[in-house]
Amino acid sequence: MRVVIGEDQALMREGLALLIEQDGAEVVGRAADAPDLLRKVGAHRPDLVVADIRMPPRNADDGLRAALQIRAEHPEIAVLLLSQHVQRAYATELVEQGTVGVGYLLKQRVADVASFTADLRRIAAGGCVLDPEVVATMMSRPRRDDPLDRLTPRQLEVLALMAEGRSNTAIAERLTLTTKAVARHASHVYDTLGLEPTEEDHRRVLAVVRYLSR
Amino acid sequence: MWLRPGDAVIAPAIVGLAGAALLLAGIEVVLLAEGRLAAIWQVFLLPAVGLLYVGAGLFAWTRRPGNGMGALIVAGGFVWLAAGLANTSVPALIAAGLVVSTVPLAIVVHLLHAFPSGRLRGRASLVTVAVGYFVVLVLQAPVYLFDQGEAGPTTVLQIVDDHDLGRVGHWLQDAVGLAVMVATAVILGGRLRRAEPARRRVLAPLAGYGILAALFVPVSGIVVGTWFPEAGLELAVAQLAVMAGIPVAFVAAGLSGGFARTEDVQELGALLSAEEGRPALRAALREVLGDPSLDLLFRVADPPRYVDRDGVEAVLPAPGSERSVAEVRVGGRLVGAIVYDATLIADRELVDDAARVTALAIDHERLTADLLASRESLRISRARVLEAGDAERRRIARDLHDGLQTRLVLLALLVGRSGAGDDVAAELSAGLQGAIAELRELVQGVVPATLTERGLYAAAEELTDRMPVPVAIDFDQGGGELPLGVETAGYFVVSEAFSNAVKHSRAEEMRLSIGRRDGSLRIEVVDDGVGGAHLGSGLRGLADRVDALRGELTIESPPGGGTRILVEVPCAS
Repeated sequence: MRVVIGEDQALMREGLALLIEQDGAEVVGRAADAPDLLRKVGAHRPDLVVADIRMPPRNADDGLRAALQIRAEHPEIAVLLLSQHVQRAYATELVEQGTVGVGYLLKQRVADVASFTADLRRIAAGGCVLDPEVVATMMSRPRRDDPLDRLTPRQLEVLALMAEGRSNTAIAERLTLTTKAVARHASHVYDTLGLEPTEEDHRRVLAVVRYLSR
Repeated sequence: MWLRPGDAVIAPAIVGLAGAALLLAGIEVVLLAEGRLAAIWQVFLLPAVGLLYVGAGLFAWTRRPGNGMGALIVAGGFVWLAAGLANTSVPALIAAGLVVSTVPLAIVVHLLHAFPSGRLRGRASLVTVAVGYFVVLVLQAPVYLFDQGEAGPTTVLQIVDDHDLGRVGHWLQDAVGLAVMVATAVILGGRLRRAEPARRRVLAPLAGYGILAALFVPVSGIVVGTWFPEAGLELAVAQLAVMAGIPVAFVAAGLSGGFARTEDVQELGALLSAEEGRPALRAALREVLGDPSLDLLFRVADPPRYVDRDGVEAVLPAPGSERSVAEVRVGGRLVGAIVYDATLIADRELVDDAARVTALAIDHERLTADLLASRESLRISRARVLEAGDAERRRIARDLHDGLQTRLVLLALLVGRSGAGDDVAAELSAGLQGAIAELRELVQGVVPATLTERGLYAAAEELTDRMPVPVAIDFDQGGGELPLGVETAGYFVVSEAFSNAVKHSRAEEMRLSIGRRDGSLRIEVVDDGVGGAHLGSGLRGLADRVDALRGELTIESPPGGGTRILVEVPCAS
């Protein structure tokens, strides 16, 4: 796995690189600002980009903007965004471009090395990983006339885990259900949200997007 | 019309001029009747237009004795009466008429340049008007000296009958005349561009009419003479009508357009004793001096400076600009200044007179302005303190983000990599995660990252995410970037209004509207709760913050009727 890192703080950048290389991946580029990141991604065409959201030159959401541009120009490159705080709007903007190979995690998650490197591999393999904090914000957010309110707590749990990027098997494991039961819950979720039966993956993406943007 | 002290002096002159004009017109009618004019109505029409000039001019003269426009129009009337003599059958009178026959056109040009004060301003105007008189007086000479014209009468002035020489003279007169009109159009165009909109509305049509009239008379003469020789009568009527409109237009514009009423300064005293109040003083000066752009500034001490009537510091216009300054003094002490349009009020004396008459009233108003000014400097210093506080908040948030937060994450990473499986390491790691989360909340409270990264709208939307009740959002995000102070204040308004609602309102639904209107940021937070909210300590602080930005905070919260908090902060950017 070839990785480009975008992080303006040198210590953090080196820490990330060390972590990734110890996991057996190769860091092919290190960028300290958004334009540099775009340049290095264009030059190296990595499998995965790990980027901080707040980066120079504007020190605002430059990393997110760069990530969206990378997703648009190279859909095959997976992107993981890191930030010291998570924001629902950022997550929505990211997954609206597609939930294949994207992630959005709090920076502090790197401390749990095993889990973090597993997330990296999952994203690079086309998965979608969202920080539990983002998902929690969704859960606690009251809305009127929302079809999501008609979901049972169990169905919501399944949907939340889908949004975190887990497969049916992983969800079954987490909730101690059978894979079949998870599939049944998922199907109820699609029906409640009024998603026509099409390709399974597509419906899954739509349900997650609906969930995140509510 | 009402009588004024000056009327007693002016009246005899007016009566004399009116009598003279009537007498001349009467004689001219008799002479014309014996002349070569085709119809009897023409006999009356020519002198009638002259009388119209004299009448309109005298009217303006009576209303504004110090204004030269009236006198100029009266002079135009007499010239017109003289020019009419060219149509009599007395050779000497014909000669006299021919000599001045185009002078009315130069008078129109003169009126255009002198309006509204009656005085010529600037070298360009002076030269243009002088050349205009040169065209109608000197360049007119070849016409009566060398050429008797197509069907013109033989004059006693003719020295040679050389048609070609006359033609050249005609051509020269037309060419220079045209140049005068072009120069006039350019000068007036420049004045119009610089004029206030209100003034432009009066000046533009008047200038347009004057220029077209002065062009129409010679051009139509050439056109009709060349291509429609048989339409001579219609031409004469049209030319008469166009020229007859001139005095009426100038007098009407001068009297109704809010232009200088030169001798009305005495009236100020009466106006001011009748009506009290600050706007009345400035309004009275504007009205009496005829300058709708006139402004009144007050001199305050500590530090010595000029302020306007709201106490906001004002800068005097630079010397040499279109706006002039008349200082107002009470017993040698500088108390204020009248700032006026020098192109509109040509007479400086007039403003100085007004300044003397109103000095005491201005000094009186100065006290109020002084009070407002100290309140304004207080507001400015409060805004500065808040601004410094905001900058400090942002600096602290940035330092925490770039420094402590990053270090804690790196420490957590170190622990995670080094001591997997170790109980102490696990506890350390959990503690660090908790510290990081706490620090994140702290930074969020200082200045939320979203406000820094995405601005007010995104940060406000994030706040709604954290609300326990549904909040409908109505954002109108036009109008460009908000000033930093306004954005920060706006965020705290929403945040405080929300926490107030959560604590006290028992609301089930809320609505948040943010948008720009008329150069102000407008934030409205509405809930359907129990109402009865008042300026508690949280909202009090907000009200102060909003006030420092010249904004306004209103709370409507009838018991049982929900709460509506409206904040409007000017943000002209």
